[in-house]
Amino acid sequence: MSDPRPKTLSVAASGRPQLKLAGALELSPSPETLKPTIRERYGHFIGGQFVDGDGSQDFDTLNPATGKALARIATAGQAEVDAAVAAARRAYETVWSRLSGAERGKYLYRIARRLSERSREFAVLETLNNGKPIRETRDADIPLAAQHFFYYAGWADKLAYATHGRPAKALGVAGQVIPWNFPLLMAAWKIAPALAAGNTVVLKPAETTPLTAMLLAEIFQEIGLPEGVVNFVNGPGSTGALLVNHPGIDKVAFTGSTNVGRAILRATAGSGKKLTMELGGKGAHIVYADAALDQAVEGVVNGIFFNQGQVCCAGSRLLVEESVSEDFLERLKRRIQTLRVGDPLDKNTDMGAINSAAQLARIQRLVDTGVGEGAELWQGCATELPDTGYFFKPTLLTGVQQTDTVVREEIFGPVLSVLTFRTPTEAVQKANDTEYGLSAGVWSEKTSKLYETAHQLNTGVVWANGFNLFDPTSPFGGVRHSGFGREGGLHGLWAYLGDAQ
Amino acid sequence: MSRLRVEKTLKLYVGGAFVRGESGRTIPVKSHRGEPMHVSRASRKDLRETVEKMRAAQPGWWKRTAYNRGQILYRLAEMLEDREASLPTSPDDVSAAVDRAVHHAGWTDKITALLSTLNPVATTYVNYSMVVPTGIVVAVPHPEDGLLGMVEATCAALVMGNAVALLVPPERAELAVAYAEALATSDVPAGIVNVLTGDLEDLVGGANTHDDVDCLYAASGALGPSLLTKVESEAAHMMRRVVQVPRAAEPASPLTLGRLSEVRTVWMSA
Repeated sequence: MSDPRPKTLSVAASGRPQLKLAGALELSPSPETLKPTIRERYGHFIGGQFVDGDGSQDFDTLNPATGKALARIATAGQAEVDAAVAAARRAYETVWSRLSGAERGKYLYRIARRLSERSREFAVLETLNNGKPIRETRDADIPLAAQHFFYYAGWADKLAYATHGRPAKALGVAGQVIPWNFPLLMAAWKIAPALAAGNTVVLKPAETTPLTAMLLAEIFQEIGLPEGVVNFVNGPGSTGALLVNHPGIDKVAFTGSTNVGRAILRATAGSGKKLTMELGGKGAHIVYADAALDQAVEGVVNGIFFNQGQVCCAGSRLLVEESVSEDFLERLKRRIQTLRVGDPLDKNTDMGAINSAAQLARIQRLVDTGVGEGAELWQGCATELPDTGYFFKPTLLTGVQQTDTVVREEIFGPVLSVLTFRTPTEAVQKANDTEYGLSAGVWSEKTSKLYETAHQLNTGVVWANGFNLFDPTSPFGGVRHSGFGREGGLHGLWAYLGDAQ
Repeated sequence: MSRLRVEKTLKLYVGGAFVRGESGRTIPVKSHRGEPMHVSRASRKDLRETVEKMRAAQPGWWKRTAYNRGQILYRLAEMLEDREASLPTSPDDVSAAVDRAVHHAGWTDKITALLSTLNPVATTYVNYSMVVPTGIVVAVPHPEDGLLGMVEATCAALVMGNAVALLVPPERAELAVAYAEALATSDVPAGIVNVLTGDLEDLVGGANTHDDVDCLYAASGALGPSLLTKVESEAAHMMRRVVQVPRAAEPASPLTLGRLSEVRTVWMSA
């Protein structure tokens, strides 16, 4: 039996992160060794070809774990966006809309298979560019992306059964803008249903995380996806604005912040474009006294520290029943103190780097605001933070109220606000007292309580005894300020069919 | 010997009651008999009061059994059929509207079976996506769709469990008020269907800036292009759903009905 008393491992001399917690095993570093090929510069992927594009506004894409540049990235202006939309339109009219559903599906199956075959390469590249731990890219991001293509591949020849008696028509060209928190997975969520339904795509990867999309483009070439069916334009928000406002697209699918979503809605008003908006959230996590507390601790940790909390559906508000709150917080802190924060490429790492200096600054600013408004700050993990890169310790804010900034605003970082409640009614009221409505979680061992609470939570997704679970068959999306439209499942297919949206 | 007709004051239908507009303003129109009438011009305050009553009533409507909601919509058809002679529109319009109400009455206990899914996720959870009401719907039927347009908008919203306020321009106010009289006797709970007459642009503008309106439903062509652009642009603030539907000749398809609801996915512990 291991000694449960606190101990300090004196390994600092080796330069390795220091474990500070009782019972936490000292682990040797276990870095991923594969080195994916990264080109010096990436332009865009238009009409089946990599094109250089205008080089006057190139920018660096970084490894957030070191702050060092990985590659130069081009900024698409009007000319590149025009070319990409034209390529997508041409592909739609001359190739993709003329293929049978079965043939379209076979291309998607090929993409899924190739993604799985090259999954390790994708996982490492994603971790390098995003900062999330290799454990997550390897076990979640990449397999889920492949699974998503495989799922929608099977819909391509069954559209007529999906629309309840109305003709299943594609919309045309979809313009898609995705965030940096799940770069490849978000690309898969956007591209797979669009293609299955018969649309073609112009997608803008996030400014800070374009690399796995560029590798995905290589796969499209490898598997012989017809030219122009999927096009990528790189660049910052201004490129995204050019894309969603382009008169040549029929559908806009956006995942990102509510404010940018609003700007897109205003800009596209009156254009007749169909829209899917996957926006911010402030997910509540209700833990009843009769929950399996240790399981709930795991769920809460997974809900807020998965992907460094940079998840739109993160469980960033903990609502714990007052009678067990002290006990629960103690268990939670003990668990958090075992989290290894550090090198994302190390297979033992639980929490990697925040994606950018700007995001790190935002998290710090919001935490400071919280403390300024009276919150009590607690931070913990099993390691010292690395000297370089953008890291933030797992953070709890206690003594907060419903009206506090940190309880109302999406932080998009590893920061959990802790509140308590006395009755189920109060729990539900507090959980629903937000402008957002993306996700919520509830923990109890009483099935009737789970059902009753789950069905009263005003969100698009509810996890009962779980959190941050995703599956291609399961529609995901929000209500109220968290957006509209669904991704995943049958409902995600409807978002790309004419009569359905 | 001639007899003097008793004229009807055209009021708003709000929260189950016929009320005069709070502003006291009216718009002169001609009745279908060619007589002068004065339509109540609903103000933004009238809209606010209506939304308040809708918000209070909507959960009760949704909590009723689907079977009961179907029976109430069927009773609406009965009430309309009975009033064919008194409704100021063509007999064909009344017949079509009655048949439409019957059509939608049959959806209440079936539509969720078409729009919900049981999702075979790769873990041990029971994963289901169900439809829940969007909530407060402000609807603009096409004026030329007459009674059929009003019934279509009403039923589409009610089938999905919402409360609805119909916005009706002055030229259709007489018909709308007669329709409201049928609604008032049809067992539709107070506040679930409301009829506001007045200046359409003004009323839509009020709905645009009301933070508690969840959805704006408009039949194709019911709003001019510039007003529609304004509706979509001002919806951004609240992420209000803007649901454009075809004219009322065909009933809403299941997927169109689905746009008047929200999908909630539950991962239930197994």
